[in-house]
Amino acid sequence: MAKVQVLNVAVLDNPSPFRNPFQFEITFECMEDLPEDLEWKIIYVGSAESEEYDQILDSVLVGPVPAGRHMFVFQADAPNTGLIPESDAVGVTVVLITCTYRSQEFIRIGYYVNNEYTDPELRENPPIKPDYTQLQRNILASNPRVTRFHINWEGSAERMEDSENVDPSSNSMLPPSCLPGKAPPIGILPDNSMDCL
Amino acid sequence: RLGKAPDWSTHRKPIFSVDIHPDGTKFATGGQGEDSGKVMIWNMAPVLREEDEKNEDVHKMLCQMDNHLACVNCVRWSNNGLYLASGGDDKLVMVWKRAAFIGPSTVFGSSSKLANVEQWRCVTILRNHTGDVMDVAWSPHDVWLASCSVDNTIVIWNARKFPEMVTCLRGHTGLVKGLTWDPVGKYVASQADDHSLKVWRTVDWQMEANITKPFNECGGTTHVLRLSWSPDGQYLVSAHAMNNSGPTAQIVERDGWKTNMDFVGHRKAVTVVKFNPKIFKKKQKNGSSNKPSCPYCCCAVGSKDRSLSVWLTSLKRPLVVIHDLFDKSIMDISWTLTGLGMLVCSMDGTVAYLDFSLDELGDPLSEEEKNSIHQNIYGKSMAITNTEAQLSTTIIENPEMLKYQQQRQTSTQTNSAPGTVGPESSAPKLNSVMNGESLEDIRKNLLKKQVETRTADGRRRITPLCIAQLDTGDFSPALFNSVPILPSGSSMSNQLTPHLSSDSSPGQPSSLGFRPSHDPMLTSPPANSLKALEDNNEGVKSTLLLTSASKIEPIKALDSRFTERSKATPGLTAAITSTAGLTALDRAKESSSTPAQKECKLKEDTSSDSEDKMASINKNLMYSKRKPELMIDGGEVVEKRKKGRPRKEKMTTSMVQSFTQIIPPSEQETRVSVPPSAVAALRLPTPSTQKAFSLQVSMEPSVFLEVENEVTVVAGSKLSQLRCSKDGRDWNTLLPSSVVTAAGSSDLIAVASEDRMLSVFSSCGRRLLPAIQLATPVSALHCTAHFVMVVTAGATLSVWDVQKQKALVRNESLQSILSGTDTSVSQSLLTQQGVPVVGLSNGKSFCFSSSLETWSLIADKADSLVQCADFRGCLSSHDAPVSSGPLAVMQGRYLNAGRLASRLSSTPHHMQQSMTLAFLENQLASALTLQSGQEYRYWLLIYSRFLVNEGSEHRLRELCKELLGPVHTSATTSWEPTTVGFRKRELLREVLPVIGENLRFQRLFTEYQDQLELLRNK
Repeated sequence: MAKVQVLNVAVLDNPSPFRNPFQFEITFECMEDLPEDLEWKIIYVGSAESEEYDQILDSVLVGPVPAGRHMFVFQADAPNTGLIPESDAVGVTVVLITCTYRSQEFIRIGYYVNNEYTDPELRENPPIKPDYTQLQRNILASNPRVTRFHINWEGSAERMEDSENVDPSSNSMLPPSCLPGKAPPIGILPDNSMDCL
Repeated sequence: RLGKAPDWSTHRKPIFSVDIHPDGTKFATGGQGEDSGKVMIWNMAPVLREEDEKNEDVHKMLCQMDNHLACVNCVRWSNNGLYLASGGDDKLVMVWKRAAFIGPSTVFGSSSKLANVEQWRCVTILRNHTGDVMDVAWSPHDVWLASCSVDNTIVIWNARKFPEMVTCLRGHTGLVKGLTWDPVGKYVASQADDHSLKVWRTVDWQMEANITKPFNECGGTTHVLRLSWSPDGQYLVSAHAMNNSGPTAQIVERDGWKTNMDFVGHRKAVTVVKFNPKIFKKKQKNGSSNKPSCPYCCCAVGSKDRSLSVWLTSLKRPLVVIHDLFDKSIMDISWTLTGLGMLVCSMDGTVAYLDFSLDELGDPLSEEEKNSIHQNIYGKSMAITNTEAQLSTTIIENPEMLKYQQQRQTSTQTNSAPGTVGPESSAPKLNSVMNGESLEDIRKNLLKKQVETRTADGRRRITPLCIAQLDTGDFSPALFNSVPILPSGSSMSNQLTPHLSSDSSPGQPSSLGFRPSHDPMLTSPPANSLKALEDNNEGVKSTLLLTSASKIEPIKALDSRFTERSKATPGLTAAITSTAGLTALDRAKESSSTPAQKECKLKEDTSSDSEDKMASINKNLMYSKRKPELMIDGGEVVEKRKKGRPRKEKMTTSMVQSFTQIIPPSEQETRVSVPPSAVAALRLPTPSTQKAFSLQVSMEPSVFLEVENEVTVVAGSKLSQLRCSKDGRDWNTLLPSSVVTAAGSSDLIAVASEDRMLSVFSSCGRRLLPAIQLATPVSALHCTAHFVMVVTAGATLSVWDVQKQKALVRNESLQSILSGTDTSVSQSLLTQQGVPVVGLSNGKSFCFSSSLETWSLIADKADSLVQCADFRGCLSSHDAPVSSGPLAVMQGRYLNAGRLASRLSSTPHHMQQSMTLAFLENQLASALTLQSGQEYRYWLLIYSRFLVNEGSEHRLRELCKELLGPVHTSATTSWEPTTVGFRKRELLREVLPVIGENLRFQRLFTEYQDQLELLRNK
């Protein structure tokens, strides 16, 4: 069984304007002291059609983790709208929170996200080019989909060798085209002004 | 009477196992979850009483655990009710324990979203099986946990020391699919697909019996083969067996493992047999004659043919057969401890409850009566009671246990209306304060407060806030807040919840069991977090949230988009949005106005449907879904510890030689002038002087003495020659006076001469002591090791330690023991430790204790205790009886006589018990005084075995305490670490396995075992 059990994920600031950062308050429990950090990632699925549009919004290390119950807030910036297919901007998509230990993913939490215009007018007649400033992101917090994976928690020598071949910063299950989620330079994003508010 | 099948307790997937908690307030089910195995704990009350079922304040489900990665095949409560063991297709056995101080919460992300009223935490995972675990079983008194698997093995785990493995039973050549313990703990039985039922001994974990005949015809397979042992231990009933090509449940008699009877009638293979835990006797009807009827057992048999039969061993036909109760094969049966209720689960995902009346089954015997049946059949040693009453008298040493017990007591007190397991009773309200802040405060500011750093390579690193420490397997209550962590609700929804609750009916939160819809209001947060202001502020947001929540169902329309990865059209989404017409208020109203179960069920149906589809979506969401990796057994050292009795070391043969006795050659008294003394009245016989004599004083090395008196005459005095041959080498010496008697050991030779002189030589002929002048002539002379003992005609006794050149006993008078007129010394000997022993003609034997400076009675032929003591049951085959120790030499014959006599006498048991106890204690004390180590050890083991069998805990404890001694030594400790040549702690190490044989003393065992370990590590 996993040494780390996620007890709860509270979705903070939800629903919120599309450009607000994601905030997840994660509560987990650890059976014993972990010698290594946990790595958490938030992945935004840009399009249900293809993994190509997945974005890692951010990745944080969490540690040290002694045995016990812990909580932290994982905040990550909103997705880079430039990487989202216009047709998929409005509607239902998914955000994923994953956690890895020794580069092995052991839990994946998925939420449905509904992006819609708050303005009924826009809702009726959505612009062809999505207006992200008007979009509201609503994470279906009450219905997380949790998948747990069996991993080797002990980290034997063999394992460690394996993991050396894996770039720890990228999720092996995601295509290499994904942008690293860390704070993208503001200049790239033309309409990022909402953040300042 | 068949109860209702509680359809609310369904997994909607096959249920493979069901087990009722020993206290009867809850039960566990195990089976297949959505993408994992699932263990669920349910409240029993709504099953038992219709009003509780309708009462929405009564929780239906208490907890669910989806930690098993694959289907759960078996769930079993420990006999003490503290633990739940589950075994599944993921090859694991998990042991669960209730976390007492953690309030309700959900299993995060589980689809059904029911709050866990109770928290059951996996405390240990048992890994050894290489295939699906099919059945698990706790031994009586929870000493062991057995698990069996399709890897053809059975693993016995040390239930007191998880995850320690006791042994792995190999021998089956097919998938092992069922396990059952003998109710007195002597055997464990298993049934496998290899057409055999095997019985294993718990003493040495070897196979006792292999029963194949009734299974030869068995074809096809059943998922499980849950066999069962009758509560009186006399019968073992198998699952799937065949007789005349008809499926049966084979009855195997304990006596000789005979297979003459079976339960016939099922049309397909029997999957599960479960004996009622009670033994019954016929109900006494008013007016009928009060003749005692023979007690009988009750057995339920479930089959692949979907029917259930219940049998009484007193009837030839089944008591009741229930057909078509289920749509699929019956998988497991569990009786309540009262013996009147039964839960049956099926592959079809339902659980049925049956309850019986006393008129149907009979009068259940009380635990005392049951225990006395056990005692009658198996003797007191094997009879292990399992009554609450007995448990309650034991001291609870484990603080966790104490907490649990107290909590249970209070909860049963407060809930006089039974079964209302509400959050209040299950989770004590604790005001958790962390540096003066409540958890709520902390949560509000967590983002600001949490420590975030950057690693060397520029990555964010968050130090999580510890909100509860893991301490001794549970969470420290001081730190933990009982405020329920909301099911994936945000802090906003947390505040929103009370608002909604106030809108809806008060009973709303408890409708958990029925509502898989995931409204955050389903948790009942404490009212103190309710703030009126916030209500207003959050009102709008709540509407929004609920709007989104109400989209769960519409999203199911998107299924195809996810599963088939077809193009998504924004238009569709919009359409969905518009169909989600329910506003929060509407919804709240609706849910508050749905008291009828029907509607709830309807909802459940639709949503569960959607959930299934969601699951498939989810699979797609996982992209390249990883295959669950095989668990690599991470360096878990499994300590094999063979249980067994300590093996007695071979008695050193040297004991034999040391008691080569010199029987006084003649009884006639030699009239020698003796100086008058106080003991003049006493006269002991002395040997007469012979011309020549020889004797062998030692066998190994062989030492012969030859004495020839008056060999030569030199200068008018007659000289006597003493010749000694040791291992072929001779030496001789001359003595000035005739030698009356001689004795020797491997170390030295002593001779007494007519002139009352005692001379002592080394084995090579050196004179070790100057001639000792005795007051009176020698009556008996003994040498053992480096000790010399002399009994004089004047009835005095002296013992010298030649090595130390010291007197151990100085002219001690025998007067005190030779009190009667006609008693005389018939036997005397000297032990290896230099303790003199004198046997008298009246059958009494005394030794002189030099430390106590007194004579001690060590054996008495006429002692009635000896005659009646019966400790045959405590003789271990491993311990060769000590026949050569001084104690045995002095009393050996009488002992046998006594044991024979006891068989003839009809002494009442308790008298006999006391006599045996007294006798054994005498033996121990005697052996101690005699400093006879081997005998002391021998009797110590018999004594402790007797105490264990008779359940004398106080004596045992005192014994262990004495043997263990103080754990911390200080200057004032007077405790001697050794006794009669043994290290006391080594003796304790030998006694402990004996104590471990009785399950009742498991705590005593553990206590001292642990301390010994501790001391060893020091």
